[in-house]
Amino acid sequence: MGGDSKYLGLWYVSPYLIGLALFTAFPFVASFYLSFTDYDLLSRPEFVGLENYQKLFTRDRTFDKSLKVTLIYVFTTVPLKLIFALFIAVVLNYRLKAINLFRTAYYVPSILGGSVAIAVLWRYIFADTGLVNMVITGLGGEPINWFGDPNNALFTITLLRCWQFGSAMVIFLAALQSVDRSLYEAAAIDGAGPWQIFRYITLPLITPVIFFNLIMQTVQAFQEFNGPYIITQGGPLKSTYLLPLYIYDEAFKSFDMGYASAIAWVLFVIIMVLTLIAFWSSKKWVYYAGDKRS
Amino acid sequence: MKSRILGIALTTTALAGAANAADLRMSWWGGDSRHIATQEALAACGEKHGHSIKPEFTGFSGHFEKLATQIAGGTEADIMQVNWPWLPIFSANGDGFADLSEYSDTIDLSNWSDEQIEAGTIKGALNGLPVSTTGRLFVFNKTTWDEAGLELPETWEDLMAAGPVFAEKLGEDYYPFEGIGLDAALLVTLVGTQRTGKPLIDAETNEVLWSQEELTDAINFYQSMVDNHVIEAWRDRAASGVNALQENPDWTSGKIAGTYQWDSTYFKISDPLEEGQELAYTDLLTQEGQETPGIYRKASMVFAISANSDNPEAAAEVLNCLLNEEEGVAALGSTRGVPASNAAREQLLEAGAIEPVQIEAQNLVLEAEGPKIHPFMEHPDVRSVMSDSLELFAYGEIDAETAAEEILYGIEETLEDVDS
Repeated sequence: MGGDSKYLGLWYVSPYLIGLALFTAFPFVASFYLSFTDYDLLSRPEFVGLENYQKLFTRDRTFDKSLKVTLIYVFTTVPLKLIFALFIAVVLNYRLKAINLFRTAYYVPSILGGSVAIAVLWRYIFADTGLVNMVITGLGGEPINWFGDPNNALFTITLLRCWQFGSAMVIFLAALQSVDRSLYEAAAIDGAGPWQIFRYITLPLITPVIFFNLIMQTVQAFQEFNGPYIITQGGPLKSTYLLPLYIYDEAFKSFDMGYASAIAWVLFVIIMVLTLIAFWSSKKWVYYAGDKRS
Repeated sequence: MKSRILGIALTTTALAGAANAADLRMSWWGGDSRHIATQEALAACGEKHGHSIKPEFTGFSGHFEKLATQIAGGTEADIMQVNWPWLPIFSANGDGFADLSEYSDTIDLSNWSDEQIEAGTIKGALNGLPVSTTGRLFVFNKTTWDEAGLELPETWEDLMAAGPVFAEKLGEDYYPFEGIGLDAALLVTLVGTQRTGKPLIDAETNEVLWSQEELTDAINFYQSMVDNHVIEAWRDRAASGVNALQENPDWTSGKIAGTYQWDSTYFKISDPLEEGQELAYTDLLTQEGQETPGIYRKASMVFAISANSDNPEAAAEVLNCLLNEEEGVAALGSTRGVPASNAAREQLLEAGAIEPVQIEAQNLVLEAEGPKIHPFMEHPDVRSVMSDSLELFAYGEIDAETAAEEILYGIEETLEDVDS
């Protein structure tokens, strides 16, 4: 194969394309077909039309509960995580002593955060005799039933996800550092305070990055699995039973791959609709360089 | 320990690369001691019969899903350790695994009783050979019971009376017993079986045998144990996370002083106990007017050969070696409980390789009476509906009648799905 071959580029990217076709595109299409079938993994899929979707929307209380929990989780976790990541990024944008050490330290949880080991650690930290309750009782408070109380369990999973703010923070930090410093100097000369500078200069200029993080974090939050699977296994009373757990249980415990595929496709449509809404709304609040609107 | 497992795995895998009569794979779940012993046994049996066997081992969690995926893709190992209740799930018509009776020239089937052979048979095909027999037994922390000044209970009444004594003498955070999740479901099953004399699901006809009133009665009995400080409330117990019993600090310290567990898990629950704590088995607790002791006994696991194996004859040789021949039996020891195979059991007893406490527990399991257990009692959907409904009941979301109704409806729906 010569270096000037017009197929050289394609040749280079072929491993990725083959992987994409085999492990993403094919399962993606196959799951759509399977969502219209009764498929128990062990025998041939049997076409059942819209039966799975009918059951999903008309008589599956577990799906209703799981969807509600998932939406609460996403709409709580994503804003909290973004605000926290932005706050830390702003702090780390100052020229402090040993700033690189701090930046690394804050980034580390996002590398570890999705791992099984950290989920197990989380379970011990929030256990009735765990670190958090030790601190609370040390301060004179009453211990909190984090895992046994359905009102608290989802919050512990939310905190785990928020704790993994490192990757969003690094992206925010890069955006903050790319803001033209002369704008800050001009604002300071005009008498603007730190909050006004942040509100009217920094924030608008990093909206493309906020938008990017919003989309990425939303998609990731909808796919959350490790945390609730390891920490609470969806309980108590299914208060942490996110849709990915339900899909997993239906597919690999109940052997109802057709039904699991239908749930997965509903989840996909929800993510897609929310993403489209975000893109549509971005015209009103995201400012790109050279944008004439402002 | 981990490095030893890795070392053996590498050695076994290296052997697997050598030219041999057959290249096989074997999969199982278990803990470290079982992993080591099984790899040593595979090395010994492989060498004896001239085969190479690649090991594939995991913990129990997730093994069902892994096996399901492998079987669905036709990539399962030649020899598999399969949980007994999974047999009808993977082999509803008896053709999901190889019929081991076709290899009776290679496997000495005379080492198993007719009852054991029947347990591994689906629709006339011997799909799996029981490795050991297990049952749910009561085991108590004798040290804590002594501190409370109480004898170990013989009846449910004794247990019920112990709750207030524990609270008064040892403290509100001491409980004579425990049970949430699956344990709660099996406790309710035991109480109901003792009172009705019937299993929840008939093993012969696939029918639910309990009425809603009978199940409600058993659920209410469970609640009375919570109300009497015998069992910690579900909500409070869940506060420790979803830790297995052996990981719960209240168990290891003796604050939880009793449980209802598989006899084969003795070392798993006894090893983490703090120094000085002593466990003791008792007979199944009895109640006045009971119809049966209600032992929940089953084959703990079976060894099966893949229906897709390219070398079923070679796999049968290895399987026989693991279960019946001196080399395999010696290496496996009692890491899967007291062996079901007569030859293996006699060999290990002679060698003193089975702990007295294992023998005591096994005798309790084998001697107690109870109706035959339907494998679908452990069908994931049956387990799920029982645990979920009992949880809703325990949290006060539904009453006992509704919980019973939902459980019976869920079980019947599962049985209908399976039948269809």
